[in-house]
Amino acid sequence: MQPDIAFIRNRISRALAAVRGVLYGAGAHEIVLYAVRLRSDMESLFILITLGDLIGVPILPPYYSLRLLPFLVPNIASWKRRVLRERDILETDGLDLLAG
Amino acid sequence: MNTLFALVIGIVVIYLGYQFYARRVDTQIIKADPKKATPAKMYMDGVDFSPTDRNVLYGYQFKSIAAAGPIVGAITAANLWGWLPALIWLLAGVTLIGWVQDYGAMMMAVRKDGDSLTAIAHKLISPRTRTILLLFIFVYILMILGAFGNLLAGALNGNPSVPLGIVMLAVAGMLAGQMLYKWKMDLIVTTIVVVGLTLLAILIGPAIQSSVADLNKAVNGLGLTIYFVDVDGLVKPFTTSYMFWLLFVVAFSYLGATLPIWRYAQPVNYIGFWVMALTIVGGLLGAALAVFLKPSVANFVVPAFKVFDAGTGGALQPLWPMLFVTIACGAISGWHALVSSVGTGRQLEYETDALPVGAGSMFSETLLALLALMAISVAGKGAGAGAFAAGVGQFLNVFGLDPTYGTALGFAAFVIIVITVTQLALRFMRVVFAEAFGEMWPAAKNIHIGTIVSAILMIIIVLSGTFTYLWQIFGAANQLMASLALMLVCLWLVEQKKNPSFAFWPMVFMYVTTIAANLILSYNLWVTVVLKQSSKPELWFAVVGAVAMILISVFLIAAALYIGWDAWGAYKRMKSGKAATAPAE
Repeated sequence: MQPDIAFIRNRISRALAAVRGVLYGAGAHEIVLYAVRLRSDMESLFILITLGDLIGVPILPPYYSLRLLPFLVPNIASWKRRVLRERDILETDGLDLLAG
Repeated sequence: MNTLFALVIGIVVIYLGYQFYARRVDTQIIKADPKKATPAKMYMDGVDFSPTDRNVLYGYQFKSIAAAGPIVGAITAANLWGWLPALIWLLAGVTLIGWVQDYGAMMMAVRKDGDSLTAIAHKLISPRTRTILLLFIFVYILMILGAFGNLLAGALNGNPSVPLGIVMLAVAGMLAGQMLYKWKMDLIVTTIVVVGLTLLAILIGPAIQSSVADLNKAVNGLGLTIYFVDVDGLVKPFTTSYMFWLLFVVAFSYLGATLPIWRYAQPVNYIGFWVMALTIVGGLLGAALAVFLKPSVANFVVPAFKVFDAGTGGALQPLWPMLFVTIACGAISGWHALVSSVGTGRQLEYETDALPVGAGSMFSETLLALLALMAISVAGKGAGAGAFAAGVGQFLNVFGLDPTYGTALGFAAFVIIVITVTQLALRFMRVVFAEAFGEMWPAAKNIHIGTIVSAILMIIIVLSGTFTYLWQIFGAANQLMASLALMLVCLWLVEQKKNPSFAFWPMVFMYVTTIAANLILSYNLWVTVVLKQSSKPELWFAVVGAVAMILISVFLIAAALYIGWDAWGAYKRMKSGKAATAPAE
């Protein structure tokens, strides 16, 4: 009986991918999460200053808001969810590293 | 007993627990369903709620929960009662209780729209529970700072080969932040450079230890001494060099607490991960192969069982309940529930990932505690860092690494893992301080004022406390949080009309055990410090510290009773068919 090379190769590559995933998760995932949070904070501010009209704060002339609107529309729903979500002290940056 | 046998027993128990108990609960009681939308998918914002691969989440969760706790707890317990009770509690604890809490909290958060544990406590039990939980967290952080500050100052003061590696860790941390975020360099290149520099400094450490010893001698010449009462009831001194290294730890943590997290705390933590990973993998392999390659290293020399009551000098240290708060992480830890709900629970792609991520990482953490237990058991003597380092040195010697360097690596890995947690604890304490007092006193919102006040509190706790009691109060706060998390899981299961017994009995055990442990801790401090030493003027600091710790213990008991009472009310409310949600305050 011949060994199924393709099957073995597939299992090995899946195992390697799992190891890579675990190492990435343990080593670098928190760094990526932090970078993503920084970016989202910047994005939140940007949306606020360009689309202040959304919450009744006319900050920039509507002309510029209208020019930017097509680029920002896809993010408005997640922006609202992110900004309006209730947060508590457990969400402080770095707190997740304190366990154990 | 030898290391291979202990490892095999551990792996077999963990495998059986995961396959035949955890999996059964997951499929038959919780009924995790891969087709149900998780909060990560429902509320995806690309930031906090974001579906993530389960292997990545397993690594993230493991890294978040496995730190100094499993190492120090196992070592302290083996010193007090012997290795056998510690081994039994580690394996029984994780199989019957530990994974239940981590997995239960994660699934509860997933099914409750990704709410944090405090928000769920607020809704399910009462608004007061949320406040008490936050106070627990405050006590927990304070005790981390006290216990870890004590450990670090002792390790740096007693081992002149270690400080160079820690100084380099600070420098390499700064460098890593600069390379990654400012120079936008590749992560792999950055890792090789900064981890390489840190390891090099760790290995050079033994060569310059005489210079560090001379520095300690010179500092001790100042003659400043503070006395404390040890766990054996004897009066011992904190030397000037001890206080010098305590200030060094404070300075290190001050940077972590005040600089932007990307600049220092996070890169330091990243470097610490690699140093610790190398030590754990090398140590576990050495422990497994020692029987074949170097049998003299493999045998346990610590007695299997020492005594039921390990108390001396009038203090009590009965196996029950004290073992169960001495070993928290590795068997069960309340802090994991917070991470499981707020951090990982919001990133689960499928409900079925909660088992390998939540339960799997908890079972894996026990292996780290097992490594620490094996290290102390083959080293035979010493406490904390010394025992762990000596054991790791012997395990690495199996591969031919000189014990001097192996021990230096073990010491440095231990100190690094503890100091990375300490700096983050100080950072979080500063945030809590600003949150609590910022309205009354606006200056409290200033990061430097908040950090300095927190650091002063830390120094007071270290210098007025006894390590074993600090550690056990830390464990008690942690375990009480675990009881609360399990209580919430039970109430959630009742609300969902599912059988809660797999979480109920662990909750009852942890609840009763923690209250009993707090009573004994208060008694010990009262008898050995307040009653015996209050007439000695040179010990006033230790007496004040003991009174403060007694008050903390009493607070923990009162908080536990409050929560128990409120949870009973919530249970009756659910059973009577009234709204499950708690009434407003």
